[in-house]
Amino acid sequence: MSDAAPSPMLEIRNVTKRFGQLSAVKNVSLSISKGEIFALLGGSGCGKTTLLRMMSGFETPSEGAILIDGEDVSQVPPYKRQVNMMFQSYALFPHMTVEQNVAFGLKQDKLPKAEIDAQVEGMLKLVHMTEYAKRKPNQLSGGQRQRVALARSLAKKPKVLLLDEPMGALDKKLRGQMQLELVDIIESVGVTCVMVTHDQEEAMTMANRVSIMHLGEIMQVGSPSEIYEFPNSRHTAEFIGSVNIFDATVQHVGTESSQLSSEDLDCVLQVEGGINALEGAHVGVAVRPEKIYMSRSKPEQGENWALGKVHDIAYLGGHSVYHVRLPSGKVVMATTTNVDRHEQRLTWEDDVYLYWSASSSVVLYQ
Amino acid sequence: MSKLGARSVIAVPYIWLLLFFLVPFIIVFKISFAEMQYSIPPYTELVEFVDEVLTINLNIGNYYYLIDDSLYAKAYLSSVRIAFFATIGALLIGYPMAYAIARADANTRNALLMMVMLPSWTSFLIRIYAWVGILKNNGLINNGLMSIGIIDEPIALLNTELAVYIGIVYAYLPFMVLPIYTNLVKLDNSLLEASADLGCPPWKTFLTVTLPLSKAGIIAGSMLVFIPSVGEFVIPEMLGGAETLMIGKVLWQEFFNNRDWPVASAVAIVMLLLLLVPITFFHRYQSRELEA
Repeated sequence: MSDAAPSPMLEIRNVTKRFGQLSAVKNVSLSISKGEIFALLGGSGCGKTTLLRMMSGFETPSEGAILIDGEDVSQVPPYKRQVNMMFQSYALFPHMTVEQNVAFGLKQDKLPKAEIDAQVEGMLKLVHMTEYAKRKPNQLSGGQRQRVALARSLAKKPKVLLLDEPMGALDKKLRGQMQLELVDIIESVGVTCVMVTHDQEEAMTMANRVSIMHLGEIMQVGSPSEIYEFPNSRHTAEFIGSVNIFDATVQHVGTESSQLSSEDLDCVLQVEGGINALEGAHVGVAVRPEKIYMSRSKPEQGENWALGKVHDIAYLGGHSVYHVRLPSGKVVMATTTNVDRHEQRLTWEDDVYLYWSASSSVVLYQ
Repeated sequence: MSKLGARSVIAVPYIWLLLFFLVPFIIVFKISFAEMQYSIPPYTELVEFVDEVLTINLNIGNYYYLIDDSLYAKAYLSSVRIAFFATIGALLIGYPMAYAIARADANTRNALLMMVMLPSWTSFLIRIYAWVGILKNNGLINNGLMSIGIIDEPIALLNTELAVYIGIVYAYLPFMVLPIYTNLVKLDNSLLEASADLGCPPWKTFLTVTLPLSKAGIIAGSMLVFIPSVGEFVIPEMLGGAETLMIGKVLWQEFFNNRDWPVASAVAIVMLLLLLVPITFFHRYQSRELEA
């Protein structure tokens, strides 16, 4: 976490959470700086929600500490924390109007009425919900409810805003639109934000930094492109986007480039730079499908190629994903952009050469 | 065919209600306009056809009598008062019970619900009679208190209004607990979390979120306790003694002691009209809830 600012807004120090025998979160440390939008990304049961609930105060860490703006809040109950959450279900109070929902948190601070009214008005304006102020939540659409929930969680000007699966309750079409709008609003307010999601696209669209969680541990933290281009483990590489991983043995470690061999390939695998492993070590070499080229003729390069048969084609409109079966039986995915409408495309059972550059491959140690 | 099927399904309860609610009501209503006489049945007919003369005798004297004799007004007021405070008592005991059951984990929840309902599986009469044994002068409570030396002589519990309250609250408690429980168990926990998240301590969350959202359950439970309590006969008869005045007892006396069926019918009709007020209120509220 070298890129964190000197005094982080939210700091998680060696936090562990156990439920009976089960450890939901295992010795997690994180540092999130002011104004950052940070995403906790992982599958179900990876501990991301438990971690978020510890930040909000609904769970207490079994070990470790949570600091907000330098202050240890591990034992502080949720109603005394300067942290607000937008719930997955939005949790709008059904017996209150939009206005009353947004004012709810402000009323707890015993602010003068005029101040509350002004603040509520400003918040509703921010989320474009002014004309719905007098409506009840059940008279609103899903997207409108989300706006109200956001306004309510921002109204108290929290130090940290927590988003629990922010798009979970919206249909797919609305998601893309709301993702960007949410980011605009959060950035205009300048609040530090932690979101939890299982949707990698959502995390990558919205967050400045993403952390991949798996089995209660943080696998990798980085910007969306770092995580995609330089995954540090098989799990991360496979979780984010699709990937081809060759099981390989290190043959030669050099400074400019290093060579490996794989049972799936007849040629040498070449990667850029050195490898942090001894010769003879077993590692994985990951290549993203869009970085693999396809050709009917043999490529000129002597390394990083394979000959296979087209096994399956997934036509996705803008691009197609080809599943190519190598003689070893391994299936490699390669994508091509469908630029020309009339081009003579590869089809089932065609022989095809696959090739990629050394700079496109990533060595995975675990 | 399916329409016919649907209609016949709806028809069954309606025919039932018609036969066993509306027809008896009309009979009672009819008798309330008759005059008492010593015969079988012990009242005059409303419509007579003698010597080609059709006479309809509508006697409103029974109703006049109810107004004239202050006993009835007192009995109605006393019934409403006792039912009202008993309902509040049942609410104060029933709400925390319902809350605790709704918050318990799924397994204990069923056991707790069973314990609420279990007593209703034995006869109502026997359960009320058991309270006589508990409350009487040499009953469980008085003997217990005397044996540990808190009191020297028994305190009068049986045949007091307190005993009637105990009886009603005890007997009707499940009718209070169940609707409130059904309401609270549906309460979305994330609403309580949201309230805490926005700075509301637990006691205030209860007042601003839980309580308003369980209003429908509170009203339903209160109606289910209040309405039958007003006309309650067994409990004041067995636990209340001579001083407790309730309309159910008056009704019984008119019917079986005085054998004045017309006045007794008038008492019943007025009681029904009195109860119509809270019933309409309840119905209005429910249909409004359904719309929302």
